[in-house]
Amino acid sequence: MIEIKNLVKHYGDKKAVNDISFTVKDNEILGFLGPNGAGKTTTMNIITGYLSSTSGSVKINGHDILEEPALAKKDIGYLPEQPPLYLDMTVDEYLKFICDLKQVPAKERKEHISQIMDMVGISVVSGRLIGNLSKGYKQRVGLAQALVGDPPILILDEPTVGLDPNQIIGIRKLIKQLSKNHSIIVSSHILSEIQEIADRVVIINHGKVAAVDTIMDLSQRLSGTSKILMSFNGPAKDVSARLKMIPGIADVSIRNPGVPGEVEITLAPKAGNDVRANAFFMMAKSGWPILEFRSLNPSLEEVFLSITAG
Amino acid sequence: MQAIFKREFLSYFRTPVGYVAMAIFTFISGFIFYTQFASGYVSISQEIITLRALFIVIVPIITMSMFAEDRRRGTEILYYTSPIEMFSVVAGKFLAAMALYFVMFINVFIHMIVVKACGGTVDAGVIGSILVFFFLAALFISIGLLASVLTDNMIISAIVAFLFILVTQLLSVIGNYCGTAVSTIMSYMGIAASTRTAANNAVSGFIGWFDPFTKTEDFSLGLFSVSALVFCISFALFFLYLSFRILEKKRWSQK
Repeated sequence: MIEIKNLVKHYGDKKAVNDISFTVKDNEILGFLGPNGAGKTTTMNIITGYLSSTSGSVKINGHDILEEPALAKKDIGYLPEQPPLYLDMTVDEYLKFICDLKQVPAKERKEHISQIMDMVGISVVSGRLIGNLSKGYKQRVGLAQALVGDPPILILDEPTVGLDPNQIIGIRKLIKQLSKNHSIIVSSHILSEIQEIADRVVIINHGKVAAVDTIMDLSQRLSGTSKILMSFNGPAKDVSARLKMIPGIADVSIRNPGVPGEVEITLAPKAGNDVRANAFFMMAKSGWPILEFRSLNPSLEEVFLSITAG
Repeated sequence: MQAIFKREFLSYFRTPVGYVAMAIFTFISGFIFYTQFASGYVSISQEIITLRALFIVIVPIITMSMFAEDRRRGTEILYYTSPIEMFSVVAGKFLAAMALYFVMFINVFIHMIVVKACGGTVDAGVIGSILVFFFLAALFISIGLLASVLTDNMIISAIVAFLFILVTQLLSVIGNYCGTAVSTIMSYMGIAASTRTAANNAVSGFIGWFDPFTKTEDFSLGLFSVSALVFCISFALFFLYLSFRILEKKRWSQK
């Protein structure tokens, strides 16, 4: 578990991080979002002990990063934006060195390294110099070093940068799999990626927390109650009139889909009402076939743009 | 510390740095030994004393990348975010450079074996010279390490180390110049000759006190002085501690 309380970091007169507080629960993936320069990397550097905060506290599984740094750091695996790689070492040598740094017992090292290499798919390049690897492999070696020592907390800054689509899917699956017994903070500019893997998101802007919630709750909060889009074959005005009679529907508006014979309407339910089942049965009873029926929640991208705009 | 030591020591041989340093040392020591051997008189002490002049070239080469390169490549984050003490990182890197010096020095040990095999003597003066060599190496490597901590640029780090070592090697001369300068200024102020002489001696004596070469010059005669070795090791530890504090302070940087 990570507990961040009132974190502040000054760079001269500028507050790079301004009173940030949030927690990451056990076995949770937290998406960490914000525009460039919002303070994401600074916050992650403070959490991992690379930088010290001007004020505030970071607790890693109950250990303060400044008061008990060795205990706190033992529980963290960190993949920074630029993977910290020694280009003059082979992958195997490098991971052995990381094992030394993270004090992995000597008798467990060989198997541990082999497991991690299989997990991130770098076994085939274990004997090659890191400097000669492609960007994708370097990124995966960086991820492998974060996993050394099996720390219960992982902090991953742009973990899929430089990977091809297949590798991205593989790493996402791995992150999901790791979340069964790890707390993970993932920062990424690929919002669909965060939407897919994160349980909750923290959005920071200008060094401050702008939002902390699940993606669903954030988008609902942004749009009030979630709207529903429905397209069907049938008389628009009649359908609209019938739908308005369903308790819990606040408004019905007809949209022009541009497809002949097809009508599109938007349902706006009253707060706290789920009207989908009633709407469906009413349409079925009336013999008006539904062609599409989906929630109009804003995407994470829309939520992000709305929160960070200006 | 062991992990850092191993990585740093092996890195000297993964890049040209270790080979260049060894080539310079081996060539010069070989040349000195060959010249002495050809003349019919070999003094290992003299060879070691001459080799001390190479500190100014070799130390900047082997220390310039110690921390500056880590910072440039972003690998320093590993040290700050691992559950190891930053001082053990400093100590590991320092000991790796010392070990490289030891490897280079094997050449001189071979010369000693040749001298012994040819019926020559390896006396207390030689042992003293070797002791001083390594204590001075420790001092200058700690200075080079500090220079590497101070800057992100390897070239600037090498130049800073070079200047530091140059000044240290010239401390006696600098002391004399400063003493004379103070005396001259005092003479313009009309101060009595006896006072000027005392001031001259005080200034040159004060600056000269920091000269490790003067302090250790009797070792080659077989006259050992613990205080001289304590002097070298104290300053080496001071520079290492200073490097450690600067690295720790960077964590708190507000720039």
